Amino acid sequence: MDSLVVSNIRQRPTRTLISVAGVALGVILIVLNTGLVEGMLNDRIKRERGIGAEIQFGRDASLLTPSSRNPVDVAYAGRLREIEGVKQVSPYGLYVGAGNSGLGIELVEGIEFDSYSSITGIRIVDGRPIQQDGEVLIDEFKAQHGKLKVGSDIQVFGNKMKVSGIYSPSAGARIKVSLGEMQRLLGVENKCFSILVKVQDPDKQAEVQQRIDAALPNNKVILTRDLGIGMGREIPGVKGFVRAVLVLSVIVSALVILLAMYTTITERTREIGILKSLGAPKRYIISVIEKEALAISLIGVVAGLVISLIAGWALERATTLQLEFTWSWILRAGLIGLGAGALGALYPAIRAANKDAVQALSYD
Amino acid sequence: MDAILKTENLVMTYRVGKVDVNALRGVNLTVGRGEFVSIMGPSGCGKSTMLHILGGLLKPTSGRVIVDGEDLATMSDAQRTDTRRRKIGFVFQRFNLFPTLSADGNLRLAEHIHGNGKKAVNEETRREVLRLLRLENKMRHKPLELSGGEQQRVAIARAIINRPAIILADEPTGNLDSENSEIVLEMLQKLNRELNQTIVMITHNPEAAAVASRIIEMRDGMIVSER
Repeated sequence: MDSLVVSNIRQRPTRTLISVAGVALGVILIVLNTGLVEGMLNDRIKRERGIGAEIQFGRDASLLTPSSRNPVDVAYAGRLREIEGVKQVSPYGLYVGAGNSGLGIELVEGIEFDSYSSITGIRIVDGRPIQQDGEVLIDEFKAQHGKLKVGSDIQVFGNKMKVSGIYSPSAGARIKVSLGEMQRLLGVENKCFSILVKVQDPDKQAEVQQRIDAALPNNKVILTRDLGIGMGREIPGVKGFVRAVLVLSVIVSALVILLAMYTTITERTREIGILKSLGAPKRYIISVIEKEALAISLIGVVAGLVISLIAGWALERATTLQLEFTWSWILRAGLIGLGAGALGALYPAIRAANKDAVQALSYD
Repeated sequence: MDAILKTENLVMTYRVGKVDVNALRGVNLTVGRGEFVSIMGPSGCGKSTMLHILGGLLKPTSGRVIVDGEDLATMSDAQRTDTRRRKIGFVFQRFNLFPTLSADGNLRLAEHIHGNGKKAVNEETRREVLRLLRLENKMRHKPLELSGGEQQRVAIARAIINRPAIILADEPTGNLDSENSEIVLEMLQKLNRELNQTIVMITHNPEAAAVASRIIEMRDGMIVSER
């Protein structure tokens, strides 16, 4: 096809490549970040939901709020046990640290193994439970991705610890230390992050929840089944983060296209004059430039998606990060890439359309 | 004479800094349908300004410019653009072809703009124009792969492909050697004779001007003689 749009894209490969890279970068930002957030949250929530406890007892903040505050007094465990309908309880601590690979976050739980394994159903498939400080349990996924086995060293809380056992199935955080050791290391004696509550009759979990609410007011009592799958439903700040990524992507893509098209329009001033001499109306000139920007953006969107998928695959292989690409975010990223391209080209296009024809024709 | 182009008391004054420059001082010109008119004159006499006004690229300070029954002087920029699209073809000294498009692409672009996005030229007209300009075998070439004379012939083809009411040629041989100048002038004559195409050409070359059926001489923004 010998159209002005296609020929301009092909004749200016450097400009085209830079513009494509700009749009692709925006798309990658959106797809990878939302993929990471979706993947990590959903992975975490799925593990939370499969934890075996019908109720989780905690404080004001969401149970999934990244925090190492561990605000709940362990003494609540005893009071929960006395409430009618409660079968078993297990307090656990939580520590949120940077991932060992330098990417993402790493959650570590402090547990009392007997009560925790009784509720969650985890069992040791290799090695043994924790018997002393400096030992950790890891799940099979962590062992496989981290190439760890019983006796391996692992960095937890910035300390070198030893893997004493590997458990299955996955539940909660992938790394577990004893609750006592976590309390000492974090300086939160007798505190935990939350308490898992197993009820006697799962069909009556809502009634038990109400009883706990009544007996221990001003705490947060959540039914595990209500933990939502999906971005931003449980984690305050996630929506803001995603919005910031979107805005940043639009700005990056639009700015790159704006600069590229602005430079191109200046280079092509004489061509604008020729179009005008041929009788091309302003809307025609704007449409030529917008079509060019959209074509470049489309290439950028496709490139960005392909790079994101490859990068996601590589990240999952190289780290324990979980990515989840959803069609809705892929579609949104594509539309944002195209929209940002069109937006970025708008000012140069209008400027070109308003050029004086005689001056444009005499431009060197 | 069936006038296809008429100017009445055409005045154009530019403001340069704080000084008014009178580029045209009351030009009255009539060009008949099918005429080939040359406008001659030294640099700065106002002939380029005149051509730009005739083509609707500039709006005159005062006076009338009637092209095929439409007064460009009373029109908005958008209206003049529309008239230019339908009724005027330009040929420039520097050819002004799109360097990224082939000769065929340049022609198709002009057709596309003329047809408001629709195909407007029938293939027979197209073949006739290419035959007259001896361009049948050059259509796949890009401008830089063509000689100056060939580029100007493509530019002429682009100007005439939509069969405009009038072709305005601005020093069409100014960038060509004498051999190619002759060929281009011969082509313009041929188009004028065989297609009854009205042509107004500005030039300061007397030999080029001589191919026209009428020569108008300008000086200091006015027509000083006609022959």
